[in-house]
Amino acid sequence: MRISRREFLKVAAAAVAAGHLAPSAFAQLQKLLSGRNAPRVIWLQGAGCDGCAVSFLNSVHYATADDLLVNTLDVKYQSNLQAAAGDLAVSAVQAAGAEPGYILIVEGAIPTGAAGRYCTLWPGMTMQNALATFAPNAAYIIGLGSCASFGGVTGGAPNPTSAKGLKQLMGSDPRVINIPGCPAHPDWLVGTLVYLMTHNQVPPLDQHRRPLEFFGRRIHDNCFKRHTYCGEPVFAQQLGDVGCMEYLGCKGKHTYSDCPIRKWNSRGHGQSGVNWCIGARSPCLGCVNPSYPDGMSPFYVYLPPPPKPEQPVAPGARPAGEPVPPVRRRNPSS
Amino acid sequence: MPTTIKIDPVTRIEGHLDVEVTVDLVGGRQQVIDAKCSGTMFRGFEIILIGRDPRDAPLYTQRICGVCPVSHAGASCLGLDAAFGVGPPDNGRILRNLVMGANHIDSHLLHFYHLSVLDYVNTTGLLDKAPWMPRYVTPDMISGPTAATLVSHYVTALELRRKAHQMGAIFGSKLPCVGSFVVGGCTEAVTTEKVAQFRQLLTELRSFIDNVYIPDANTLAAAFADYFNLGVGYGNLLSFGVFDLDNSGSNRFFPAGRYTDGQFRPVDPQQIAEYVAYGWFTPGSCGHPGQAVTEPDPDKPGAYTWLKAPRYAGKPHEAGPLARMWVAGQYSRGISALDRIMARALETKKIADAMDGWLNQLVPGAPSYQPSSIPAQATSAGLTEAPRGALGHWIGVQNSVLSRYQVVTPTSWNASPKDDMNQRGPMEAALIGTPVADTNQPVEVLRIVHTFDPCLACAVHMVRPGQRVEPAARSVRASV
Repeated sequence: MRISRREFLKVAAAAVAAGHLAPSAFAQLQKLLSGRNAPRVIWLQGAGCDGCAVSFLNSVHYATADDLLVNTLDVKYQSNLQAAAGDLAVSAVQAAGAEPGYILIVEGAIPTGAAGRYCTLWPGMTMQNALATFAPNAAYIIGLGSCASFGGVTGGAPNPTSAKGLKQLMGSDPRVINIPGCPAHPDWLVGTLVYLMTHNQVPPLDQHRRPLEFFGRRIHDNCFKRHTYCGEPVFAQQLGDVGCMEYLGCKGKHTYSDCPIRKWNSRGHGQSGVNWCIGARSPCLGCVNPSYPDGMSPFYVYLPPPPKPEQPVAPGARPAGEPVPPVRRRNPSS
Repeated sequence: MPTTIKIDPVTRIEGHLDVEVTVDLVGGRQQVIDAKCSGTMFRGFEIILIGRDPRDAPLYTQRICGVCPVSHAGASCLGLDAAFGVGPPDNGRILRNLVMGANHIDSHLLHFYHLSVLDYVNTTGLLDKAPWMPRYVTPDMISGPTAATLVSHYVTALELRRKAHQMGAIFGSKLPCVGSFVVGGCTEAVTTEKVAQFRQLLTELRSFIDNVYIPDANTLAAAFADYFNLGVGYGNLLSFGVFDLDNSGSNRFFPAGRYTDGQFRPVDPQQIAEYVAYGWFTPGSCGHPGQAVTEPDPDKPGAYTWLKAPRYAGKPHEAGPLARMWVAGQYSRGISALDRIMARALETKKIADAMDGWLNQLVPGAPSYQPSSIPAQATSAGLTEAPRGALGHWIGVQNSVLSRYQVVTPTSWNASPKDDMNQRGPMEAALIGTPVADTNQPVEVLRIVHTFDPCLACAVHMVRPGQRVEPAARSVRASV
């Protein structure tokens, strides 16, 4: 039943073709993924919905979740998937945490109110304690999803549990990589893991410690919905209309992510997804932003766009704001 | 001598659950004589929602649960449709059913293969690495070629459940957490291309359900037939019904209904009340979810959980696929741990087969969204079924913003604590009498708990300790 290595390498090759991995990195990848150096992962879930874990299971663009779990990663603790429960699971994660050098994936926010009692992972271990316990020995700490990165919906006003993200708790730690999103796109996580395996250093990050490769381009600048018919901008008048949804609350001008290109729920290896929020004629929520959800809502109400910040741009990426050739829909009325 | 086993964390579920069982020798067999289930995480979702734009509720409430976000969006939309006085066009109603159906299929495959199967299969020699190690190995587990087949299907099912999400995203925008569910319908348009794309994935999934999932469930049933007599519980079942066949709210593919003390009965939502004797809440917090005040008391003696205990007419009821299938007259073999697994598998086929017909009812080009405006004041409820059972959202709108929001989830019913009449919750009751051969490897307990497919992130999000929940306590967010 094992997934062949050839299959995985085929995926990685597709990623190279798509421009996501440099060819030299690909050669390195072949060597590193031979199994002996499988990176150890401890995946802790705090105050969240497990949606980012479910999203990870949708991975297929770079590699499938089963390939990653069976052949590539050594996931020591992941409470949705692991066989053990109770004491057996706790002793396993404690043993794994004693050995430095693992990748710590944090999913869900870290409640800091009431001494962390709002979220307990196992007897006597709050999520807040768990972060303090497992962070010191981690080589990299990934905040997976907006809750873990910035507090997210769990930290929405009035933030009843004083939930925080890695940005607030360890914002200056050089090991931290934030991969926000509600949920996070599986490719953003897997692509980052591949980068860590091939480069053994954190990827280029923006000021919120988000990988520039995925969060370096403004949604509106790459969005097919903003485009014009015969040179005139077209705005959607109500939900379900064709046209730019800026005045229906779309936060595409506030948000930097590669959703318009990558899309969601990929069809297969190296392929883009079947749809995305704006593709389904629903406004962007700005879910990868540090101010999400409070600063991005009401979601169906126009929010004046901010002056465009000086955003560093990923190598090889199209500078934000540069005109993009319009992509015309074959049948605009459908 | 009685021994207490604490399983914390219960893994292969959604959210944070602690199960404590007391085992003792009864009639020469070591078995569970007492059980307590408690939720160990909460976020205060209902508080976060107060004062927000009502139209945002489906987007927020989806983030209660990453496994069944579409059901929360659906419940919220149904409630808002009623509050706004709008009904979705047929396309919108059907699209909601199709995306919800995709989420049911995904959730059921995930539950059977990835959350449950490891309780029954000895994976030695098949999955010899973390996260499948360390593991429990008990003599009654399936091994040999059958185990290898089940483990290979475990891997294939990861691919198939991904395709179920891909299918849902065609009309949902993305999964988990869809963007297209809005009050008044669905934003996504129906095109013949999308219908064909959806049908292609559905056909693949139906083939897997018929040829792999249901045979595997039968294999499990044959190997563990004694579980038809375990995990029985009260035998009271509750379904709110799901998959609207028109906009009346009463004509559903799975009808609303209940089975109480051996009798089929209709459901009257007014009969639902939540009890708090063993939850960290003041006695004044009892009542109907449409009216009750939630006032926490974190230091209450004798309390052991952040779940309230919802009861129908004072009686504990179990929610889930078995309840839906039983109430619909589609399953009648019995009520037990294994019946929950079998009903879930058979339900998956029933939903997937029906979805093919719903696809035919879509009209490309016709609208799927009906505009409406926010009411100044309204109260309403959205009742539906998540994959794991009856789900209700109770909504209050004042000054055009949300003034109250209460969510009662299936796991609130199933994993609830004892109530004021000292009746255990359905999952606790189902655990009583479960044999435990080896207290160091309490797989029997995990098997029973897993048949309920508990989702604790859904269930435990009610309140903040030490603070009374007052809608007026938060400044009202005006919509710009």
